[in-house]
Amino acid sequence: MIPWLLGIAFLLSSSLAGIILIFLISGSLPIFEAYGWSFVTGREWFVGETYGALPMMYGTTVVTGIALGVALPLGLGTAVMTSEVVGRQTRHVLKSMMELMAGVPGIVYGLLGLVLVTTWIRDLFGLIDGNCVLTAGLLLGVMILPTVMTLSEDAIHAVPRLYRQQARALGFQAHEVILHAVLPQAIPGIVGAMLLGLTRAMGETIAVMLVIGSLDRLPAPLYNLFAPAQTIASKIGREGAEAIGVGLHWNALVALGLILFVMVMTLTWSAEQLGWKGRLHRI
Amino acid sequence: MLPVSLLVAIVLSVGSLSPHDVHARQTVIKVAGSSTVLPIVARAAEAFSARHPHMRVMVSPGGSGVGVKLVGHHLVHIGMVSRRILDNERAGFPQADFHIHVIGRDAVACVVSSEIHDAGVTILSKEDIRRIYVGEVTNWREVGGPDRDIVTVDKEAHRGTRHVFMEYIFGISRAKTPGVDLVTGSNNEQLTKVALSNAAIGMLSHAWLNTDVVGVGIRDGETVLTLTDEHVQNGTYPMVRDLSLITDGTPTGPASKFIAFLLSPDGQRIVHEMGYVPVR
Repeated sequence: MIPWLLGIAFLLSSSLAGIILIFLISGSLPIFEAYGWSFVTGREWFVGETYGALPMMYGTTVVTGIALGVALPLGLGTAVMTSEVVGRQTRHVLKSMMELMAGVPGIVYGLLGLVLVTTWIRDLFGLIDGNCVLTAGLLLGVMILPTVMTLSEDAIHAVPRLYRQQARALGFQAHEVILHAVLPQAIPGIVGAMLLGLTRAMGETIAVMLVIGSLDRLPAPLYNLFAPAQTIASKIGREGAEAIGVGLHWNALVALGLILFVMVMTLTWSAEQLGWKGRLHRI
Repeated sequence: MLPVSLLVAIVLSVGSLSPHDVHARQTVIKVAGSSTVLPIVARAAEAFSARHPHMRVMVSPGGSGVGVKLVGHHLVHIGMVSRRILDNERAGFPQADFHIHVIGRDAVACVVSSEIHDAGVTILSKEDIRRIYVGEVTNWREVGGPDRDIVTVDKEAHRGTRHVFMEYIFGISRAKTPGVDLVTGSNNEQLTKVALSNAAIGMLSHAWLNTDVVGVGIRDGETVLTLTDEHVQNGTYPMVRDLSLITDGTPTGPASKFIAFLLSPDGQRIVHEMGYVPVR
């Protein structure tokens, strides 16, 4: 009986990704038939006339990049500190706090961002308005920080004591122990933590929607982080309900979903490659 | 496309199942659409349910476009719209027979941040507004304001408020606006973005105006149009629209009762209380 149940559970969950992919591909076929590659390279999105995904792809990439730039150094630093430096009690408190924060829903961050962060950013940089790529990226960075921190801390903490003791015995300084003996061992776990954070950032809808300005336009110049933009998730969030079910508009939104799916898969795959190489290299 | 609509239907119906529906024998009237009409319907829903305890009205926002779509798909009983139903929307549901029940009137204001209003921009010409939205004017100085860049706030393309505004300013409801800096959804979101900025221009339903977000007079040729109840009622203010409930076919049962309630003196009083103009 139990093997059967396990088998069914396995089949159901492993086919889920396939079902979603089939839904995304079949739903986006009409738009690729009508537009071909120009859907991916197009810069204009005007419902009923033209659909181009480039601004949204760009927005997603840049916002995720900023989020990583915030969450990785802060998260990793805190993780090393929590695992290697502070005492057991403090670690326990820190960890529970972080895990609590990791569960805070996006809308909470979104509202905080809308009311506080946009005005801070505006006043800090002397902008005309604070709804921009940078605000969205920073907000996402703070949002994924607890995930990145607590999971990489798990990875670092799981490195056996023996490594530390032997490195010490070889005459390593405290910081050398961490840098050369502990961290290399923890890399696969750290990569996994980063990945989980990043995919949450890429898919975050509501928090981004409220602070990014929702403008389907490539910033000019491209590196202008103070320009409003749009991510794939925020675009689908804005127009999904209106396009529901029928027409090229709907197909275009499903195709955006497919592009996001592919972006996440590519990221996961390449991070796994990196992680493995890192580990093999060190051991 | 049938499987997709089916999927959507399942998702929506699962989402809306609350324990309440299951245990009590209540009839649920589902209403969705325009965030401009929503305050009226939400208030009316309370009063209606108080009189008819066995009926419950569920109201959700989304915009006029969403209202039309959901009625077309039969996912809600009543849609809320604050603009005309477009030809392409009708074409999307050839089998649907949309009935429109006008319950009130609303005016759309061109609004600016209070800082800009205080600095002297109390009247803008129709042409100024057009040039701001296409990006030909980018600084308040050019239209008699302080030397500050303009934050031009637009709304999602399917929103009723935008249709009314653009139809007046540009002559077409689906105008392209390359000068825009931010795009927002509901009236609440637009209000927040304009209020938090100190240099913004936007469009807002009359009922949302407050001290942080002030309506400007609009100069059209020789006349200056200001938004007052009187001008809305006598038809001199141009950006006025009907607020309607839509159904597929003649409404029956609970839905027809609810619509009748909104058209009754009590319902019309709610329309007035929420800052709109009654139709009866």
